[in-house]
Amino acid sequence: MDVVIWLPIVAGLILLVIPNLRAIKGIIGLLITAIVFYQLIMIYLAGSASIQISYLGRILDLDIDPMTLFRVDALSGLIGVFVGFFTLMVIIYTLRGRKDHLPQNYHPYLLMTLGASAGAIFADNLILFLIFWGFLAITLYLLIPSHDDESAAAANKSLIIIGGSDVIILVGIVLVWKIAGTLSMNELSIGTGSGIGILAFLTLLIGSFAKAGAFPFHSWIPDFAKSAPPASSAYLPASLDKLLGIYLMVRLCNEVFILNQWLTLAILIIGTSTIIIAVMMALVQHDYKKLLGYHAVSQVGYMVTGIGLGTVLGMVGGLFHMVNHALYKSGLFLVAGSIEHRTGESKIEKLGGLSRNMPVTFITALVFALAISGIPPFNGFASKWIIYQAIVDFGRGTGISNELWLIWLALAVIGSALTLASFVKFISGIFLGREKKELKDIRESGPLMWVPLAIIALLCVGFGIFATQYVVPFLFSPVLGEFQLVGLWSSSFISMLIIVSIVLGLLIYGLGTVRSFRKDDSFIGGENLQDSTGFEVTGFYNTIHDSKPLSGIYDKADKKWFDLYNIGKGGVLQFTSILKRVHSGLLQTYIIWFILGLVIMLIFLLLI
Amino acid sequence: MEQLVPVFIILPLVSAFIIPVTGRFSQNFTRGLSSIVFLILTVLCVASIGLWDRGMIIYTVGGWKPVGDIPIGIDLIFDGFSAFILGIINFIALLSSFYSIGYIKKYTSENNFYTLLCLMIAGMNGVVLSGDLFNIYVFLEIASIASYALVAFGVEKEELEASFKYQVLGGLGSLIILIGVGLVYWITGTLNIADSSNLLITKFDNKFYIVTQILFIAGFGLKAAIVPFHTWLPDAHSSAPSPISSLLSGVLIKAVGIYVLIRLFFHMFDLTYEVSLLFTLLGVLSMIVGGILAIGQSDYKRLLAYSSISQVGYIITGVGLGMLIIATGGDGSIAALAIFGGLFHLLNHAIFKSLMFMTAGVVEHSTNLRDLRMLGGLSRKMPLTTNASFAGSMSISGLPPFSGFFSKLIIIIAAFQAQYYVVGAIAALMSIITLAYFLKFHKDTFLSKARSEVRQFLPVPVTMKVPLVILGILCVVLGVFLVPQMKEIFMDPAINVIIDTDQYSEIILNVNR
Repeated sequence: MDVVIWLPIVAGLILLVIPNLRAIKGIIGLLITAIVFYQLIMIYLAGSASIQISYLGRILDLDIDPMTLFRVDALSGLIGVFVGFFTLMVIIYTLRGRKDHLPQNYHPYLLMTLGASAGAIFADNLILFLIFWGFLAITLYLLIPSHDDESAAAANKSLIIIGGSDVIILVGIVLVWKIAGTLSMNELSIGTGSGIGILAFLTLLIGSFAKAGAFPFHSWIPDFAKSAPPASSAYLPASLDKLLGIYLMVRLCNEVFILNQWLTLAILIIGTSTIIIAVMMALVQHDYKKLLGYHAVSQVGYMVTGIGLGTVLGMVGGLFHMVNHALYKSGLFLVAGSIEHRTGESKIEKLGGLSRNMPVTFITALVFALAISGIPPFNGFASKWIIYQAIVDFGRGTGISNELWLIWLALAVIGSALTLASFVKFISGIFLGREKKELKDIRESGPLMWVPLAIIALLCVGFGIFATQYVVPFLFSPVLGEFQLVGLWSSSFISMLIIVSIVLGLLIYGLGTVRSFRKDDSFIGGENLQDSTGFEVTGFYNTIHDSKPLSGIYDKADKKWFDLYNIGKGGVLQFTSILKRVHSGLLQTYIIWFILGLVIMLIFLLLI
Repeated sequence: MEQLVPVFIILPLVSAFIIPVTGRFSQNFTRGLSSIVFLILTVLCVASIGLWDRGMIIYTVGGWKPVGDIPIGIDLIFDGFSAFILGIINFIALLSSFYSIGYIKKYTSENNFYTLLCLMIAGMNGVVLSGDLFNIYVFLEIASIASYALVAFGVEKEELEASFKYQVLGGLGSLIILIGVGLVYWITGTLNIADSSNLLITKFDNKFYIVTQILFIAGFGLKAAIVPFHTWLPDAHSSAPSPISSLLSGVLIKAVGIYVLIRLFFHMFDLTYEVSLLFTLLGVLSMIVGGILAIGQSDYKRLLAYSSISQVGYIITGVGLGMLIIATGGDGSIAALAIFGGLFHLLNHAIFKSLMFMTAGVVEHSTNLRDLRMLGGLSRKMPLTTNASFAGSMSISGLPPFSGFFSKLIIIIAAFQAQYYVVGAIAALMSIITLAYFLKFHKDTFLSKARSEVRQFLPVPVTMKVPLVILGILCVVLGVFLVPQMKEIFMDPAINVIIDTDQYSEIILNVNR
């Protein structure tokens, strides 16, 4: 089973060294990814397996029994399959990618990411896990081309936040070792009654949040989404990092730690505030890639909320939403990639009316947008609905956070509504409306680009329609045990109702009097409609930006007041300027430093 | 083997004086000579690996017999720890002198350069091998004076100023060390480390003992650039020619600073809780101050120099934790772990800091620029340098799977296992800051847009590229030292020598009787 780890990494390294032949690299990458995907499915179907090795204990000169290095269980097997699937889709999509849109050595890095992800998922030993996890941070950094100042800054920010969180995870791992004396995730079960237990949990959770992009460690995702090529965005923050970050969170909350009610409360607060804050930011974006980036953050809030509930139903909802989100968000980023590939524009107001030129892209984008907004019968609705059910169910329990269930529910539902509002902007701004003159010649993207989109869109529909009967029980009962969906809801039945109503609507449209309607241009106060006239969809959303209590907050957010990265940077630079002032460069001062140091040390030792 | 010990000092010393003579006839011979010398010494070190764990090899210069109980001869001690440091010194010296072949051509008086280089290495090898305090001082001065001259090698205004500051402060440090040596001699009547180690406890009263320790900490601390004695380093290391910077930062501060501190405080003085605490505190302070200052630098090499201070802090912290655990009678295996962390980081730092200074040299050679605000976008033009520099940066920042990650990991594990939580947490936090400034540096130099200031773009000679490749690969693969079989061979002899605080003087005194 370890072939899924070393094969892509070794292949990636070899491809990195050999000269730059993009096409061949892409095809080799495709082949290897296909092999690995097949292997991952086999691993998933075979169920549990493990690789044990005895020497890790001797490395650190401590007496530790033989350790399990890698272990497959239902959860890691499941995540592994999706990692393989998304890698395959992205690699197909980028086979014909234009050179300037992808970073150099894109495919080797992609392969290494695949191998390292498999390693991180299957690692049972926490240190081994951290090695793969940290390696992923580096490949993430390399997937941004960084040939201009903005993207270089975004790459930096991403690696500083993620690499920094790796160090914090490291502290958590060392604490876990201190508490439990073992590093095998399988054997750990740590109570969070003591201070050190809580500290260990929080440090590890920060790692998971930074990777998944939950508030307040989210700020790298919008920047990354804006600057990186969409093919990288589709692969990393949109799907893979969610898969891994949420995977770690499930492991932590479900297996490694036993949570107390205050931690549950904290996680729920973070989860729901992530939903709202990020979606509010998404509403006012003009850059469609950045808009998608903020949604990538917002959707994490649902997963965090679901998993934070701690109930089986909540876990099911969170994991299902993670899978769904990975599907539609990587789909959306690939759509963004196709649009950028054809038009070269990244602002919504420069686009419009592309639905006729790019029909497949439009339909898939519509499916993804409806799915992310939680419209039945698509998959986003199914998982959100399970999360709502889980929250209601959670309200029956006792505890401080259970009492507040109505708040969590309200925030989750409002977040969903706002998501819909901002995707109206995305869809109508890019695909609907009057066609712009300069966009007349835009053609549909090639089949290598739209086939992956179509596959993902079909999965979105399928996962939604068959959610309750097949998909959820099949995928998640091996992971979390048997569970019962509460409330009266059957996805296929509802989907049937929807289809019936659509068919009825079409019948009425076809047969009725509606046929003879008049077609005319928009009415703009009696003026003649010029080609240059038009309504910017984004203009409507400026109202939100400018409304009274919000405008102040948005202004501060634009100035990055709420960005942990900027706050930290400011703090450190403050210290730097103080220290720099003391380093005057004057020899006399330096001699005084020396003598002072000597005297202070003497006093220190003589007085102690 | 015994007869080969003085070769480490003689060979570079002799070649230092041959070079100016032969340089008059054959420039190419001179260029190659120092590389060959260091190659021989490196091979010698590697060849002796099997001997490391068989105790120590003692070579008595001139075969002088002890008079009374006092060993008056000069002992050269070759044990696991000195072999480890010698290996690092000569390996880095080999790469730097090879690198210099292409780099130093632009300066006049190449011969003087190689002479000074060989002198400096001879001094360092001498410090590491020497078994008595006064010879440590003498070799220290040889190495230091050679390095003063090398810092000023460019004879521009800045370089001379840096060299002057370095001389004054270095001289101050040497003076303090000399006073310490004098105090030890005054009380014990002997200069042999092993001999005085026995006499110090019985003859010293407590106050004198502490004063001597403080003098040594300050003196050698200055050579090791521990805060608050670090002030000379940023100027000196950034002004020297790049291959020299990589030697200064990579090995000089370790050989004449950290090595001697470890040797004296583990093997000459008794470990006390207070001194151990002082060590750890100084280490943590260096870590913080160096890191925070590095983030504000806009000069390529100054940033690297400040980062050296911070990384030396890590080494001292690791070793200091080991001292603390031993002094408080804690678990020996955790002390060994802490010292392993310190030494491993020392090795890693030698590798990646030399690498970083050499890439700095390549960039400077090629573009004639050192200001980060003017550089940018070099990754397209020099992919090899970019990748080597990236490997070095990631290794310093401690991201897995690069080697720096493992040494920091071990230091942090040791800190937490010994329940010094704050130390562990600071080490982790500073690692984030390290990551931040190295990423900033990487962005400003190699990524971003190419700036208009980058006008010229000279080709880089092969001799400068080879060391980059070797060191870059080492940054990735050195993590294997964590594997027990490798650790047993390369690291354990050094760690065992350090941990066993009494054995050192026992063996030497037995030989001398």
